[in-house]
Amino acid sequence: MENIIEVQHLSYRYQDTDERPALDDISFTVKAGEWLALVGHNGSGKSTLARAVDGLLPFSEGTVTVGGIKLTPDTVWQVREKIGMIFQNPDNQFVGATVEDDVAFGLENRQISRAEMVPRVKAALDEVGMQAFAQREPGALSGGQKQRVALAGIVAIAPDILILDEATSMLDPQGRRDMLALVQHLREEKHLTVISITHDIDEAASADRILVIDDGKLVEEAKPAEIFAQGERLVHLGLDVPFTAKLKQALQDRGITVPAGYQTTTEMEEWLWQSLSNT
Amino acid sequence: MAITFEHVGYTYQAGTPMATPALSDVSFTVPDHGYLAIIGHTGSGKSTLIQQINALLKPTTGKISVDDFTITPQTTNADLKPLRRHVGMVFQFPESQLFEETIQRDIAFGPQNFGVSEDEANQRALNMLETVGLDESFADRSPFELSGGQMRRVAIAGVLAMQPKILVLDEPTAGLDPQGRLEMMTLFNRLHQEQGLTIILVTHQMEDVAAYADEVAVMQAGKLLTCATPQEVFNDSDWVQSSDIAVPRAAKFAQRLSDRGVKWDQLPLTADQLADQLVQRWPGMGAHHE
Ligand SMILES: Nc1ncnc2c1ncn2[C@@H]1O[C@H](COP(=O)(O)OP(=O)(O)OP(=O)(O)O)[C@@H](O)[C@H]1O
Ligand SMILES: Nc1ncnc2c1ncn2[C@@H]1O[C@H](COP(=O)(O)OP(=O)(O)OP(=O)(O)O)[C@@H](O)[C@H]1O
Ligand SMILES: [Mg+2]
Ligand SMILES: [Mg+2]
Repeated sequence: MENIIEVQHLSYRYQDTDERPALDDISFTVKAGEWLALVGHNGSGKSTLARAVDGLLPFSEGTVTVGGIKLTPDTVWQVREKIGMIFQNPDNQFVGATVEDDVAFGLENRQISRAEMVPRVKAALDEVGMQAFAQREPGALSGGQKQRVALAGIVAIAPDILILDEATSMLDPQGRRDMLALVQHLREEKHLTVISITHDIDEAASADRILVIDDGKLVEEAKPAEIFAQGERLVHLGLDVPFTAKLKQALQDRGITVPAGYQTTTEMEEWLWQSLSNT
Repeated sequence: MAITFEHVGYTYQAGTPMATPALSDVSFTVPDHGYLAIIGHTGSGKSTLIQQINALLKPTTGKISVDDFTITPQTTNADLKPLRRHVGMVFQFPESQLFEETIQRDIAFGPQNFGVSEDEANQRALNMLETVGLDESFADRSPFELSGGQMRRVAIAGVLAMQPKILVLDEPTAGLDPQGRLEMMTLFNRLHQEQGLTIILVTHQMEDVAAYADEVAVMQAGKLLTCATPQEVFNDSDWVQSSDIAVPRAAKFAQRLSDRGVKWDQLPLTADQLADQLVQRWPGMGAHHE
């Protein structure tokens, strides 16, 4: 499969005087259609990296190539057209006076005709369950409603690449699962590439691959199961310990011998059931 | 400080064509030194509810008492300053409460506003920075040139620096890394345990509800569905299902085992509680099979 994103030796300092760069010699690639999770502790550089890929950062060291186009001041609009990004704080991305206008904005920017726009906006708001709020001012919504509207904005565009910067952080657990399922569905249907920045272990688990950033450096790159097998070290990487690992630890502390490696909840349920029935 | 809501209703832009009802007939009491968690789906009214506690939003109907203060639709802002100094509020979006040029000044603003000297407020700010896990190098930086989680920490520091008696926390750990989340939740709990702060916590983390709260209020479409202990709320699995509320991971997992016939003395809400009961049932280990 082709690489849709290639980042080579990317470094960035917000100020020349900064002791430590926010991004420090980062290189990685993303395959078309892949779901990549970007994790790391607070201030490690995740949002900075996302902004760099979206052409929002005037970096001078390293290269970013998106869909075969090398990112330069001349190509930045071409690159950005391929990417739909949800910012960490949805208030920073609302531009429309109403929810509906806001979702339409990205389509207008991409020269979609009005006739096509209206149904697409409606469908996108339906997908995220916000149709009833179409006429509302985006600022006058609850936190989770804002995140849903932000998602509708990129569902409407269906760009080649989605970058979600903690886009589900204010949703209830069910809402979060629904939104992730929507992204997954969109990805399969339209062969989109997804980069999701998250502290949520379940969201990271739905990725094909996880990149771990620490102090501006890329320190790990692996499949979710490999990452989750690292137990307590996960906390240092800025991730939570999965529930099954916590339960295992608690059982071990009480003198029960537990199988090694990472278990999914289903695997763990099965193992416990077998063990308990073993009388 | 105790908090009582009596038949509180709130409508955004009341009396205009844009009127949006967001709370209706909400009544509950949180005792002094209590710890209440508020849960509910997106848009159910949690943020609207807690903003009534320091009268950032005043009830359209009904009445709220916080210790000796009473808030009604007629209460004026002048009456509220003494109340506001005791109620520390961490907003859902941290940016909305940052405004100074430097982080130190931002954190020192609250205490200074309520009469603490500049020197002491600045010193408090430095102490608070450390408490929330940011080193001194942050003091002179702008609060807007930070990562999301760092902004959240600064917002929390600013509220704690006021030394409030009530802490109102609106999803205070959204955006924090898991270690930061644990550190902040532990810190809030310590303030609750050691200094007797009353805590109101809006959260989507059912694990935190199970671990810390005395009672949990469940909001749905502007109404208070129930207010009871986490054990009472999560234990009623039919009710949990029909009201479509989330349960802690441990409880969900325990439920799956009970579907296969495992019996629990009491539904486990945390990994530790679950492990305790599993050991009891473990062949050759616990009490049940001996
Ligand atoms: N506008 C800015 N100006 C200067 N420094 C900044 C700016 N934005 C972020 N930084 C700094 O760059 C570093 C990386 O920040 P970034 O926002 O990329 O972190 P992050 O990994 O997204 O963290 P979080 O999980 O808290 O959102 C941090 O140390 C932060 O203080
Ligand atoms: N400024 C406002 N003007 C009009 N309506 C508003 C305003 N703020 C919130 N609302 C509406 O009031 C209802 C309750 O919102 P609230 O912010 O209290 O929800 P919430 O439970 O905190 O949700 P979330 O978990 O998403 O933060 C929602 O339907 C919301 O759209
Ligand atoms: Mg970030
Ligand atoms: Mg809210």
